[in-house]
Formats: sequence, structure tokens, C-alpha cells
Amino acid sequence: MRIWSLLRGDIRFQYKYGFYLLYLVFSILYISLIFSFPQAWREKAAILMIFTDPAAMGLYFMGAIVLFEKSERVLDSIAVSPVKTYEYMLSKLLSIGVISVIVGFSIGFFSHAVNMTARFLVGIFLCSCLFSAVGLLVAAKSVSLNDFIISTIPAELLINIPAIAWLFGWRPGWLLLHPGVCLMELCENGKYAFTAFIILVLWTLFFALIANRTVKSMFREIGGIKL
Amino acid sequence: MKPLMRSFGIFIRQIIRDDMLWAVCLAPLLVALLFRFGIPYAESLLCAYFQKRTILAGYYLLLDLVLCLMPPYMFCFASAMVMLTERDENMAGYMAVTPVGKTGYMLSRLVLPAAIAFPISILLIHFFSLTNWNYLALSAVSLLMGLSSIAVALFIFSFSRNRVEGMAMVKLSGLLFVGLVAPFFVLSGAQYLAAFLPSFWAAKLCLEENSLLMLPALAVSLIWIWALGRRLERKLY
Repeated sequence: MRIWSLLRGDIRFQYKYGFYLLYLVFSILYISLIFSFPQAWREKAAILMIFTDPAAMGLYFMGAIVLFEKSERVLDSIAVSPVKTYEYMLSKLLSIGVISVIVGFSIGFFSHAVNMTARFLVGIFLCSCLFSAVGLLVAAKSVSLNDFIISTIPAELLINIPAIAWLFGWRPGWLLLHPGVCLMELCENGKYAFTAFIILVLWTLFFALIANRTVKSMFREIGGIKL
Repeated sequence: MKPLMRSFGIFIRQIIRDDMLWAVCLAPLLVALLFRFGIPYAESLLCAYFQKRTILAGYYLLLDLVLCLMPPYMFCFASAMVMLTERDENMAGYMAVTPVGKTGYMLSRLVLPAAIAFPISILLIHFFSLTNWNYLALSAVSLLMGLSSIAVALFIFSFSRNRVEGMAMVKLSGLLFVGLVAPFFVLSGAQYLAAFLPSFWAAKLCLEENSLLMLPALAVSLIWIWALGRRLERKLY
């Protein structure tokens, strides 16, 4: 199974470059921060932290990962191997999704701030895949880290602002079409959680498909020839 | 001097190509506008809502400090990103064996950006500050902010072997600025737990208005820069 080998490779890569250690430190930090808040704020604070950090880590790290693979010529080898682009993409999305879920679970569970449900974990996972897919989309087109960071700012704002507005009480019904808002609804286990779940799945699939197309054209361009 | 300027020129060209220069220049200005006009407005709303005389006003100094930090931090951050890219593409190694040399490379990537940010910090505070500053204290704090930004960029670069670890370090390096917040929120002696951070002393200096505090502030900053600079020198071949 190629996808398992890719996944194993990606997880090993992330472990080796300190992702697990980094998020261990940050989880402890976040949990202690949550405990320093008054009881009434804790749930919102925990959801906000999970949404903006572990769930969004793909958008933050994907540029570094893909650019590093480009400079180390890993992508050249993958491009000529039998690996399909969707397998490469899935492995990136899943490996980061695993970290997001573990960290999101730890923050929510150990701080006792969030009602732990399967919906909540699935929500984090889907959101993480969505962010990673957007990250992959941007990373495939960037030439340097600065370039990547600048290009992710609009995506961050578009995903984060409506979601945070929702969390703090601005809740018109149509906003539920927004993927970030869907995660909030899932996390809070609200009335429309099921609808939110379906919409989030559709958004994630949509961005994964676009990311797949971009990765495909990136693989074609690596040899220096545009086919 | 000429190779140094040329190396700095390459840096500027790189951040222009990535549109990073715009972000680096605009971000501090946006923050300044937000703090200058948004915060007093939010304060008036909050005070009216909670029926209190002051809520945020006690932290205006902290906001000014953050504003003062913005220019050097943005420049040094952009610089750290360029350095990470250059190392992965082996450019750093090549630069080190040209007349630029290791020291020249570090000067052009870290000290020059921070030096350019110094007058910008002073101007920003002059036009947008929320509290009253005298220019001696302002220069001292701008200098300290420049030094801490250099320390942060060095931290990112010297504790990472490639871009991926670099980005992880960027995340971690945010903790170095916890020192700025500690004297404002931790009123007991426990605040001195943050005393090893350069940003702690900058905040302390402004809060207590005691010029003697400049000594530990400078000492801590320079120790950080010295230790990290040595680490980096060993890494650049």
C-alpha cells in the first residue's frame, strides 16, 4: 500500500522535525492558560485556541514542508515514482490531521473546558484537512517562505474572521455556509451540528480536489518542462 | 563596507520580490492606527458598559511597548525567513566564503534591518503613542526592542536545521516576548521568573522609570545575542 508508506514517511518527517514536541509544549501552555481564565470563558477560549492553532497548523506549516521537499529534491523522486498525486496529498492531509486531532483532544479533554464528542473530533479533523489543503494549494505556487506567508494571510482572514465572529455571538443563519463557522457549530454541539457537518465535508472535499489539481501541475513542472 | 551593502541589497531584493517589504512596512503602521484610534474607542465603550472609570488604560504602556517592538520584529522576522530559505538553498554557505564573510552575512541580515527599524520605532511612538514618552527613554526602549528582535531571529535560525524546523522555532520564539507581559500581570516576585528574557527588562524599565534597569536589560540582551551568535557561527560553514 503506497499510501501507508507515504503516511509513515510523513509522520516520521513530522516527528523528526519536532512537530510532536512543539505541540506538546504548546498543549501544556494552552491548558495552563485555560485554567487561568474564569470558568465562564473557558469553553470559548478552548475552542478559539483549538481552531486557530492545532486545526490551522496545516496552513502554517505546509509551506515549509513543501518548499523543503522541493529544495531537497524529494518531490522530483516522488514525481517519477508510481505515487499518484492524490496519494501524496492525502498523506499530507492525514498526517497533519492526526496531530491536530491529538492536540485538539488533549486541550479539550485535560482542560475540562469542552464537551468531548465524536463530532468534535471529526470537526477538528475535517477542519485540519481543509486548512492543510489550502496550505498545499498556496505552497505549491510559492517560491520562498516569505512568499508563502504573505499568500496565506488572505486565506487566514477569510477562514478565521467569520468563525470568530460566530463564536462571539454574531450568528445570522447564512453564515453556516462558511467552513470555519461549521467547525464552531460542531464544537459547541449546536442545533445545526448535522448540517454543519455536511457543509464542512463538502468544503473539505472541494479544497482537497483543487489542491490535488495544483499538486498535479506542480509535479509536472518540477522537471522544468510544462506539459 | 561594499560587500556588506551588496549582501544587504540582495536581502532587500528578496523581500521585495516576495511582497514581504510591503507587509513589513505596512503591518506596524496598521497596528499603530489600530492602537491609536481603536483602543481608546474600545476603552470608552467598555467603561460605559461595565460602569468603570478605567479598564484598558492601565495597559496603554504595554500597547506602546508592543508598537515599539513591531518594526524591528517585522524586519528581523522577514530576515529570519530569508535566512532559512538561503540556508536550504545553500546560499548562506556561499555567502560566508565570499568577501561578505560570516560576520558580514550576519550583520547584513540582522543588524542592518534592526538598525533601520530603530528610527521607525521612534517615529511610530512619536506620532501614535497612547502614553507620554521622553525621548531618552524612548531611544533606550527602541534599542532594547531592536536587540531582542535580533535575539529572536538568531534563535529561530540557530536552533533549526531547515525551513520546517525554522517554522516550528518561529512558533516557539513567540514565547520570548512573554517577558513583556509579565511585569504588567504578575505583580508578585514571581515575575522575576521571566528575568532571563530581554523583553522583561524593557517592560520593567518603562514601568519603574529607573534608568539603572538599563544595565540588566542590556546585559541580558547581549548575552542572548552573544550565545546565539556563537551557535550560529558554528553552524555556518
